[in-house]
Amino acid sequence: MSSIFKRIKDKLADYRRPGYYKEFDYHWAIVVDIDRCNGCEACVVACYAENNIPVVGKKGCDDARIFNWIRIEKYIEGEYPDVRVKFIPIMCQQCDRAPCEIGCPVYATYHNQDGLNVQVYNRCVGTFTCATYCPYDVRRFNWFTYKPDKPLDEQLNPDVTVREMGVMEKCTFCIQRIRYAKDAAKDEERRVRDGEIKPACVQSCPTGALTFGDLKDPNSEVSRLARSRRRYRVFEELNADPSVIYLKRVMGNGKRSHD
Amino acid sequence: MKRRDFIKYLGAGGIGTAMGIFFGKNTKPPGAKLIPYLVPPEEIVPGVGAWYSTLCAQCGAGCGIIVKVMAGRAKKIEGNPLHPVSRGRLCAMGQAAPQGLYNPDRIKGPLKRAGSRGSESFMEVSWEEALRTLAENLAGLKVKGSAEGLYVLAPPLRGHLDALIRDFTATFGSPNYLPYDLFDNRNLAFANAVSMGMESLPHYDIENTRYLVSFGADFSSTWLSPVNLSYGYGQMRQGSPGVRGTLVQVEPRMSLTGANADEWVPARPGTEGLVALAMAHVIVAEGRYRGREARQWRSLLEAFSPVEVAKVSEVEEKRIERLAHEFASTRPSLAIGGDVLSGYTDGVSGLVAVNILNHVAGNIGVKGGVVPNPVDPFFSAPGRDFTRSISTVRDAAESGALKTLLTYNANPLFTTPDNLRLRESLDKVPFMASLSSFMDETTAMADLVLPVHHFLEDWADDFCSPSVGKPVATIMQPAVSPKYNTMGAGDVFLELARRLRHEREKALSGGTEILGEFMDERFSVKDFQEHLKRSWRELHAKDRRLSGGNPTFEGFWNRLLKDGGWWPEGAPMEKGPAVRVKDVAAYMPKGASMFEGEEAKHPFYLMVYPQAGLLDGRGANSPWLQELPDPMTSVVWGSWVEINPATAMKLGIKEGEMVTVESPYGKIDAPAYLYPGIRPDTVAVPIGQGHRSYGRYAKETGANPMDILPSLQDKGSGALSLNSTRVNVSRSPKPGWMVKIEATKKEYGREIVQTVTPEEFERMNKEAT
Amino acid sequence: MKNLVISAVVFFVTFGIGYGINEAYLADRAPAQPIEFSHTIHAGDNSIPCMYCHIYAKRSRHAGVPNVQRCMGCHKIIKTDSPEVIKLVGYWDKKEPIPWVKVHNLPDHVYFPHKRHIRAGLECKECHGDVASMSRVKRVSPLKMGWCLKCHTKKKVENGRDCWTCHI
Repeated sequence: MSSIFKRIKDKLADYRRPGYYKEFDYHWAIVVDIDRCNGCEACVVACYAENNIPVVGKKGCDDARIFNWIRIEKYIEGEYPDVRVKFIPIMCQQCDRAPCEIGCPVYATYHNQDGLNVQVYNRCVGTFTCATYCPYDVRRFNWFTYKPDKPLDEQLNPDVTVREMGVMEKCTFCIQRIRYAKDAAKDEERRVRDGEIKPACVQSCPTGALTFGDLKDPNSEVSRLARSRRRYRVFEELNADPSVIYLKRVMGNGKRSHD
Repeated sequence: MKRRDFIKYLGAGGIGTAMGIFFGKNTKPPGAKLIPYLVPPEEIVPGVGAWYSTLCAQCGAGCGIIVKVMAGRAKKIEGNPLHPVSRGRLCAMGQAAPQGLYNPDRIKGPLKRAGSRGSESFMEVSWEEALRTLAENLAGLKVKGSAEGLYVLAPPLRGHLDALIRDFTATFGSPNYLPYDLFDNRNLAFANAVSMGMESLPHYDIENTRYLVSFGADFSSTWLSPVNLSYGYGQMRQGSPGVRGTLVQVEPRMSLTGANADEWVPARPGTEGLVALAMAHVIVAEGRYRGREARQWRSLLEAFSPVEVAKVSEVEEKRIERLAHEFASTRPSLAIGGDVLSGYTDGVSGLVAVNILNHVAGNIGVKGGVVPNPVDPFFSAPGRDFTRSISTVRDAAESGALKTLLTYNANPLFTTPDNLRLRESLDKVPFMASLSSFMDETTAMADLVLPVHHFLEDWADDFCSPSVGKPVATIMQPAVSPKYNTMGAGDVFLELARRLRHEREKALSGGTEILGEFMDERFSVKDFQEHLKRSWRELHAKDRRLSGGNPTFEGFWNRLLKDGGWWPEGAPMEKGPAVRVKDVAAYMPKGASMFEGEEAKHPFYLMVYPQAGLLDGRGANSPWLQELPDPMTSVVWGSWVEINPATAMKLGIKEGEMVTVESPYGKIDAPAYLYPGIRPDTVAVPIGQGHRSYGRYAKETGANPMDILPSLQDKGSGALSLNSTRVNVSRSPKPGWMVKIEATKKEYGREIVQTVTPEEFERMNKEAT
Repeated sequence: MKNLVISAVVFFVTFGIGYGINEAYLADRAPAQPIEFSHTIHAGDNSIPCMYCHIYAKRSRHAGVPNVQRCMGCHKIIKTDSPEVIKLVGYWDKKEPIPWVKVHNLPDHVYFPHKRHIRAGLECKECHGDVASMSRVKRVSPLKMGWCLKCHTKKKVENGRDCWTCHI
């Protein structure tokens, strides 16, 4: 018995060590330039199409069971006529010290080979712990098995598992696309090139607000953008060390409209 | 343990084992089958997606797309990275296209009306019978000498399908081929035609501009070419280091684009055009205008001084002056107008005003301004016919001139105001046939339903308009084989021509010459694919630019299908036309736009706008788009009414409560959404929901504001005026609920979206360099 | 009462045993096929390489069953009088694919690419057995996770024990 405790303790110590991912080959990250984002939600539909995300209907949405892995949050500040609106796309932040991983009793969510925080559907027993621990509210639970009406199921992506009742799911940074790119790279015996992988949301973004890449490569586009002075991360103070880096919105203080 | 018990347990164990084996055998799924290809297609590897380039027909923007196909099914749609309009990106609506292809409510084969008209009771017929019925009906028209009784209604198509339908209708002997779409920018095209003499819509070069003033144009969600313009917006903001363009939005209801603007100017509804003219007035009066006719401009704009305009528009005089100064001094700058502005009763005047503003600031024909699109002899259909519109169809139906109505992917019954009385008029039409994939409102009225291919299954082409300052041609090719017993739209017309030719021969042998010519070789090809290929062969032979890189046509054609279209590299920019005083003088507004209804009885202006993703309602049958939260309100699966919180408090309305919106023409009920980004004297309702037919996802979801609009139409352009009535808002006793995804509108100091001020941003840039 | 409980327990335990026996020993591992195709003749006697017919193994996650055209490529001339080849020609003439029964059916929720395994230098027979000596193909491997992992561990596959290597 004590050996199990010791193993758990070691594992937790592993998580608490800063830079857990750094022993891996890649560190995937998304840089979101909020100053470019215009909130059009093309990314949301792209994600639905790529990741077989179920539709829950009006009642399901009312019960807060909507499955959007990526969502555009909108905040309205001020009163008419000095209204300021801000948009921010929020997906799983792929935290390096992920709070959700500490919570899972069956080790269904863990760090994989690329420093991604992944969810193993086969293991998940649906305790909901990870979702309660997540400060970004990006984990979604399958309360039921949501089957699309036939023949809408013909559109399902065969590269992504169709989840069933009782498991937790979340954004994977389109791990199937990462896998394809790594597969191609392995064939040619090279590293994955910068810009070779584009998760569905990044690919579709009309304004080019999202950029995906490897933070370990100092010359990659994400590394360049991550050095921007506008850089920040959401809830940095929670010390979860997320891999999604935001670039601040350039915005007046609302006084412009007073004069 | 007793021996007796032992035997009992042994028995239980035996039965258990036997049942386990039995159960294990019988609950296994039946042996899966491995079905090989008979003859393998060369380009397909099972398990690896094949990408086909084609054209997106979800809206009229004409984005080039690539479709991932696995095992013969369309899986994912992305923008074609080579295509100059989509640039590898795609909007929400385009990406939801497979939901139309695999929609459970698609029409699976030809139908003939069985019950009374509009009762939606149909019986299945064969294609042979359906086509024969239609051909006989048309031949009958011809025999009776009323060929011009044929009306064909289609969305504004631009390629060879358009030419084919036009040819077909003309050859048949009818001049009545009418392109119709609720959001086809008729007003914009008309305003540009009268003020700049432009035949095609220009490219608004948002990408390179540094100061953008948008008068109501919501290019982030639906206006003109949202993908291309959104790309331009991203580039304008952060595309080049250290330079960040400014966006100012003038509109009474903050649209998605308005929400992204640096400055939102909530002018009184119907006065945005006046604000544009006042800005032009300031530029001209201060001598910043250096073009010709300076004196004439000065006198023309005399009446629109900021002082006067401030009185009606409720935009302060100083603010107008400041905007004008910034607009004139920042180079390059650009003004655009659309959506709300073009929806007013004098929408054309407003759009002309925007052109005037661009002209006096010197923005026409420059990089980062209004870039004219070349009028290409090969790539342009005959110019728009502004004299005829949807009311032409209504009038013809009323007078009995309309004998046979053929609609193709057009749904005017949903997208015209109830007050136009189109439904009642169409009841009088002797024969209606609909070429459509879905049982929409118009198709439900038809006598004959000819289901056409989804655009992912069909052939067509498109010459983009607005293009990007150079000709762009896109090819639509089938990414998947037809799922149901449907037919390509072009094939239907070719088949009709073949049958009519046959009827003619029959009539000729009887000694009477009664039918028109369908002998032309244009109509004698096997199918539309052949027709398209032959048309392109002609283009290739005629145009040196096309044959430049590819001397053989086959090579060119294969390249065309692979790349998804043709667009020349590095075409020089066209010179900009000038706006002349004498052309625009007739379009100067007399004051604020008119609204139906008296202020006392109907105190609020009603703004209607296309809901992102649903557009004119065509997206409402896609579960993804229904469940896509609206960007501004986060409402899903339904309509809403946007009301300013102060107004709502006065009326005693809480968020989510059902309210009645009543105009002089009717009333609708929808839940209220308290929206600070709308003027207190204005309410807004999105278009797109409230279908009576159109499948399980669209039916009975929300309310359609078209039900309460007057049927006003611009005299010049023939476009419907959507923002033309006042309404009253009151609490409604009707049941209903609103589902929104957001939990709160406020950030409560959580600093989720962090910002820097423009000054700080400038300092950062200086430090960086 | 006590008897009933013990009986129930015994019943459920043996039920599980029975189910397991079925899985391990009694499952039909060599189902009958619509055409009695013999790998002994093709891969054995005539030593046709595996990937001459299973053309996608090196390129895709699926190895692919040979398309009917490929069969006909040879059998237009060779052994046209054999009853099994006549069946094949029947399918070809009707323009119908042959409904082969799947022998190696992987469990759900697992991602198995043939490509990666072939490129790693694995012999087909390491998983499929000596097919060249089977007149009717028989599954010789259990295709269970433990069996996969045993090999991944033995061969020290990079990330071979990571969940998301196979469960995507």
